[in-house]
Formats: sequence, C-alpha cells, structure tokens
Amino acid sequence: MDELLQEFISETQETLEALAGEVVAWEADPTDRDRLDAIFRFFHTVKGSCGFLNLPRFERLSHAAEDVLSEIRADKRLADPATVSAVLGIMDRIAELAEAVAIGAALPQENDDYLIAALTEKEASAPDEGEAPAASVAVARASGGQSAPRTIRLPLSLIDQLMNGVSDMVLARNELSRKLRERSGDPELESAFERLSTCVADMRDAISKTRMQRVDRLFTAIPRMVRDLGRDLGKRIDLSLEGGDVEMDREMVEMVVDPLTHIVRNSIDHGIETPERRRALGKPEAGRLKLEARQSGNQIVIEISDDGQGIDTGRLVDKAMAAGRLTPEAAARMSEAEKLDLIFHPGLSTASQVTAISGRGVGMDVVRANVERIGGVIALDNRPGCGLTITLRVPLTLTIIPGLIVRAGDLHFAIPRAAVVEILHDNNETLNIAQVGGAKIATIRSIRHSMIDLEDVLGMERVAQSGPRAVMVVRSATGVPFAMGVSAVENHEELVIRPASPLVMASGVYAGMTLPDNGKPMLLLDAAGLANAARLPNIIDDHAARRAGEDEEAQGGVEMVPALRFEEYSGERRLLKLSLIERVEDIDARLFGRSGGRGFVRLDGRLVPVANGHHAFSEEKVAALRLRDGAREACYPVAAVLDIVEMPAVPDMVAMHGLLSGVAVIDGEHLEVINPFALFAALPEEPVAERSGGRCLLADSEDGWTREILAPLLRQAGHDVVMGLPADEAVDPQDVVLFTGSDASQASELLGCRIVHLRATPRPAGPQDSSIYRYDQDALMAALAGSRR
Amino acid sequence: MNQLYLFATLAGTRIAVETREVEAVVKLTDISPVPGMGAHVAGLSALRSRVLTVIDVAALVRGRPTPMERRVFAIIADISGHSYGLMVDAVHDICQVPEGELPLRGQLDAAWAPYARGLVEHEGQPYLLVSLSGFIEAGTVAQAA
Repeated sequence: MDELLQEFISETQETLEALAGEVVAWEADPTDRDRLDAIFRFFHTVKGSCGFLNLPRFERLSHAAEDVLSEIRADKRLADPATVSAVLGIMDRIAELAEAVAIGAALPQENDDYLIAALTEKEASAPDEGEAPAASVAVARASGGQSAPRTIRLPLSLIDQLMNGVSDMVLARNELSRKLRERSGDPELESAFERLSTCVADMRDAISKTRMQRVDRLFTAIPRMVRDLGRDLGKRIDLSLEGGDVEMDREMVEMVVDPLTHIVRNSIDHGIETPERRRALGKPEAGRLKLEARQSGNQIVIEISDDGQGIDTGRLVDKAMAAGRLTPEAAARMSEAEKLDLIFHPGLSTASQVTAISGRGVGMDVVRANVERIGGVIALDNRPGCGLTITLRVPLTLTIIPGLIVRAGDLHFAIPRAAVVEILHDNNETLNIAQVGGAKIATIRSIRHSMIDLEDVLGMERVAQSGPRAVMVVRSATGVPFAMGVSAVENHEELVIRPASPLVMASGVYAGMTLPDNGKPMLLLDAAGLANAARLPNIIDDHAARRAGEDEEAQGGVEMVPALRFEEYSGERRLLKLSLIERVEDIDARLFGRSGGRGFVRLDGRLVPVANGHHAFSEEKVAALRLRDGAREACYPVAAVLDIVEMPAVPDMVAMHGLLSGVAVIDGEHLEVINPFALFAALPEEPVAERSGGRCLLADSEDGWTREILAPLLRQAGHDVVMGLPADEAVDPQDVVLFTGSDASQASELLGCRIVHLRATPRPAGPQDSSIYRYDQDALMAALAGSRR
Repeated sequence: MNQLYLFATLAGTRIAVETREVEAVVKLTDISPVPGMGAHVAGLSALRSRVLTVIDVAALVRGRPTPMERRVFAIIADISGHSYGLMVDAVHDICQVPEGELPLRGQLDAAWAPYARGLVEHEGQPYLLVSLSGFIEAGTVAQAA
C-alpha cells in the first residue's frame, strides 16, 4: 500500500509540474482540444487512483475539476480566465496535499469548498472578465509537440552509485595500465587491455549522460509564473520559449532555476510596461518576453529578452550616489557599460518602490553571485526604452570546469579559470606592490587592487622559493577584482568537481574538491569566499582614475597587451596577440591537406583554412594555434609555442609587410608581430566548409582503383565523395561525376551535371578524347575546380 | 536487543559505536591537509574514487591534534551524503551485546559529555557509546564558531 501511495504521489507531482504550462497555454487558446484532454486526463487519473487509496480530499477536488472540464469539453461552458484560475487553484491545492502526504505531515486544514465554489460559480465572475483577458499569456513553444521517449523511474542514489562505480573502474584501469607498462610488452595482453579501456571510456560517457536533463524542466514553471504575475500587475505578456530540448546537467538545472525565475520576475515587474503606457509609446500592448536556450561549445546559453523599458542607467547612478557609493566626479567619468554594471552592486535597484514581486532586497547582485558560483557568466544588453536582453552562460555540467592549479605553501589548490582575469609574475614591470599598515595594494597598469596572499588567508606558512611569485587578478562574484599572490600557477586542467563535506564548506573559502589523477584530493577555492575571509573592502573601483591613468600612459608609457611567443617552422620567433587565439592544440598531421592551392585542416568535421599555408609535416602531431576573429576561424601551425609575454599594442617598429605588422622588442629579443588584420584578410572569402560542399560522385564504385586510390585523394582534397551514382536522389548541378569506364557517360549526361572522364593510359585515345590520365593529379584537380564554376 | 557494536580506542578512551553507522575501517594513507580549518579537520584522503573528509576526533574531544605518526586507523561513515573518516587510535572488536545500551553512570569527563550517549559493556569492561554523526555535528559547530 505504501509503495502504491508513493508511486501515486510522485507521479502526481511530476504531472502537475508539466501541466502548469499546459493550462496556461490552453487558456490562451481554449479551442486546443489536445491540451484540454491532457488536463482532463490528469484529474481523471487522480480521481481514479485516490478512490482506492482512500484519499477523500484529493478525490473531491479532482472530481469537481473533472466535472467542470467535462462541461467545457462538451461545449456547455467556456474556458474563461476565472475558470482557468479556479482550475489552477485546484491544481495548487492538490500539489500541497501531495507534498504533505509525501513528507508524512498532517494534511493542511484548509477549506476546499471555497476552491470548488470558485469553479462552479461562473456567473459571479463575469464582471471580472473585462480586465481579465488583458492578463492572458500567449505561450509559443518552438519545439512544438514532441512525443516523450520511453523512460523508467530510477532512484538518484542508484545513479550516483553507478557513477561512483564507474569512477572506481577508471581508477582501477589507470592502475592496471601503470602495472602493464612496467612489465614487458605482450601485444595480445595489450590489445585486450585496449579493448577494456575503450569499454570503460564508453561506459563513462554513457553514465554521465544519465545526469543530463532537458532544459524544458527549467521552463516548466515559467508560463504559470508569467501568467500569474501578468494578472497581478495588469500586464499582457507574450511569452515564447525556445530550445527546451537542449540538455544540461541535472544539478545545473536546479542551480539555474532561481536566477532565471528572478530575472523573469524582474523583467515583468520592472521591464515590461503597462498596456496603457505601451500604447502611448507606440509599442504593441502585449509585452514580448522570450526565453531561449542553446548549447554553445561546452556551455549552455540562456537568453532572456524583453521589449520593455530597459535599465535606466541614470537612475542607477543617482541611487549609487545617494547611497554614498560613488562620487559625482567618478560618476561623470563612468562609461555606459560601467554604469550598467552598477545593477550588480548590492542594494541598488532601479525600482522606485519595493513591490511584492521583486525588489525585496534580493537583487541582481544575488543573481550574479548565484550564476558565478556555478562557473557561469551573466551579461546584459541594455537598450533603454526598447528592452533588455540578459544572457546567462553556464557550463554544461556542474561537475567539470576548467580550472587553474595553483601552489601555495607546498599545497595545491584549484581555482575556476573563469574567476581569474590575469596572471602576472611579481617581478613584472607593470605590477607595483605597496604595503601600508599591514594592507597590501597591488597596482597593475594604474589600477589599484586590494592584494592578499593565499598563504595568509589560509593561515599557512609561506615557503621560501627562488623564482618570482605569481600574482593573479581574481574577480569575485561581487564583481570587485582583487589581486592574490600564490607561489606559482602550475597548470590548466579540466577538473571534475565534487561537493566537499559541509564541514569543509563551512570555512567559506572552498567551493568544492576534486580528485586528480595522482590520487591526492585537491580543494577548489571560492574567489568570493577568499575576499570575504580576508575582509577586503568592497569598494566600487575607481575606474575613472584608471582611465585618467591610462590617458597619462597613452602619452608617457606604452599600452601593453598579452601576446603569445612562438616559433615558426621557418625558425623565426614571432608574436601574436593572445586575445585572437582561441586555444592551442596538438593536431594530427594527417588532418592537414591542400585544396585549390590553399592549406586546410579538417577539424570537427569542418575544413578550417591554414593561415600560413603549411600543409605537410614530418611529425605526427602538429602544434597549432586556433584563431578566431569572431565569425571566422583559422588554424596556424607552429613549430613550438614558447610562452606568453606582454607586448606593446603598437609594435616598437611599425613595418607593414605581408602577414607582419612590425617588430617588437621583448626581453631584448627582436620578434616579428603578426598582423591579425592581414592574416584574416588573406583567408579565402567563403567559408571553406561550403566550398567543399560540392560532391564527387564516383560512378565506378566497384572498381578497386576508384575505391582505394581516387576516393582517398578526393577526400583529402576536401571533396565529399559519394560512391556510385545516386539511384533516385536528385543530383545537384554542382556535383561532379567521375568515371573510368566508357559506359557511364550517357547516365551522367542524363543527370545533367559536369563529368570528368579518367583513362588508364597516359596518352589520349584520339583528338576527341577529353579524358584525363588518371595519375595526372594537377589536371584532375584543375578539372574538378573548373567544373565547380 | 542484539545490537552489533564496534569497539575502539579513541583519545585514550574505550568507545563503542553502533555498527549501522559504520561503513568500514581503513588504514589511513596520505592525508592532504585543508588549511584554514580547525585542528579537528585533519584533511582529505582518497579512498578509491571517493574523497573522505578525515576528522581528528581526538582534537575535537581533547583539543589537541593527533601527531602524524599516530594517524593510523579511521572509521568510514557516510553522514548525510558525505563520506567521512573518523580517526581512532585502535579498533578491537565487533560484537553483539545482548544487554544493549546502559545508562551513563559516574562523573563523566566534561570533554566527553557532549558525545557520550550511554555505556556498553563488553568482556566486563565498560565502553562509552558514541554516535559518529554527533562528532560531525560538533565539528560543524566548532568550525562555524
């Protein structure tokens, strides 16, 4: 009996969650039978189940709702907003009751009659109807109707157990591999181990997928909330949800719910204006609110955009000044972006009065702190008077984040890479550390930062070292960056983060822990926690002063930018601005190829142009810089990556020539500086992936030469190769048909595309023979390129 | 009341722990210290793919950290979803005690008062019955203070 009850409760709760959005959508379009049926079915199921589970209150409520809905189904009654509200009320009560049963608490003693009466008295609610439709919410789900895949219910603990089991397995495999390496190589044993290794890796991937959940879950509560808020505030909102089928980590979904809810509330309360005001402004009466989720690399991007009034930065500045956090002089010199950033400072809100909806002291500062705690980033795109777009970027999973490994007092710690703005050595010329009254102040390029040493904050002994210490500029969640000294920054790794025990978390300076391959647990530092622990003053930094300083510098000093020092294949040492480099990667030399006189490299199924034209290498692996100018990407193979240095933004000697913009002197060495403009300008205009889009159809797919020699050659040159002529598929006029026999020519003429005839003999058969000798690569490539046009 | 008990020595005192609280007893290997914590948090230690928070129970009770060379055994327990290792001096036996838990008698050392729940007799000797989660709670409070 208990089990049945448990099952019933959890099923009811789950359906309720999913249904809330449906009800709102149904209200917007009362003619939608499918939705009505779904809601009806829910109440019907509840009524049926609680009959034999002996839950009279459930039964009574669902019975009443079912009655009303069946009247609507029979077209005896209209689904007016009052009815929908009453139905929603019943659903809420059922949810409360289910919750109470689930935790075994006494059922809340509230009067259900009132709710049921609200359902049945439809006439009395008629006067409301005048304003009620104004609150209707139109919900558009871009994903449309989707059929749910077959699923089963599993306890979370079982999945966690499975995850742990797999982690143990991976560790055991690593140990085994170590042991195997110590002994002499037995190829049979090794191949068996390889197989095991692959299985374990596959398994780990599969298991980690069980942690994924559709973003839909994040969106379920939104339509209902938007509707209720809209009604309370008398605003009309047109809500659209997109990208619900993107998947993200289950825990991540839970962490994002609160910030997202808050942003949506804010947007409705402060962003979107009342219908009257919107009409006066010439906007459509219904405000548009759009939530969109998409995956971008290993991040999930959630965009919340509205067409409301945006953020009034002037009012923010006034508030900050009134609160004594900003001097008028500093305010006058602030840029628009800096003013906008004030919204993330605690205690500042543009709401002129505190309302019940938002502005209860829990502001955007908390939202930002919450997003950053999970390694996310929040960005604003403010269009005063026209709307606001808030972009949340959160990592795909909570458990794997890119982190830096730092050393302090003989111990290693990890810090999320997102929190680190800059790393310098303390002997760097741009850095100046001053001490006064025990406080340390680090001035980096005229910006003053509070400085702490990690050892001091954590109460460790500082270990003497010969080399310079590293100073990191760390941006805490509260937005005020500070400088932190450590012995060294050692490594950059993807870290699997797991929660630390509450005992450790209570210290406030740790955000979690990780177990690297060496088997020594390592702690993840919490940037905001460190700042708190060190009791750093939380001042809005004097950006203005920095700007003044920068102006001076522009006259007197030189602006420096970080750059990567590398060695070319030709042996020269050159510099490239670091911000252009997406990452440095070792690429398999076989992936490089040449097509149409240009070097390309095949990466993630795309062709990426090679900026310096290298395409043949003697090594197996090639170190390459992956560059991106925002839209286009390029690959730059180098002989060796040396280090990161500060170079002047303008080279010491300007000499525009080819790919170079000049020469800079770094540590007494003359280095050529790559001109990024010239580099990207020299790339082929159209994206390479499309260029290779033209297909080569190989008519004689049975022929060994075609299969083993021709096809690989074409693929390497960046063409898509199709074996055989497509039977009934339409042939693109851009396609090229290659054949070696003589019988295929008629067929290809029928297809209406260019053909290239290859012959096996070096000499042409006659003057009319337009075929190409099959080992004449240049002619073949020219023929292919020619037929492309 | 045939409850199973684990008998051990902790900070020089005989203690008994109900076995349903105990997951395993291990020999401690490397402990990575956690700076910035009270002496009662000895550090983190990896047990296969799990990470244990190792509690120096003696430091919690007596206020003196256990010297490195005597950090040998730890009782592994899973408390509210996290794995802990509680350091003990020695582990003696696991036994059923037919008479079960007895009320505390005599004047208890003030240091032990927050942790002792009762007495358990084993081979004619009284053992202090303690709860592992009690130590963790006390540790959290000590940290917050």
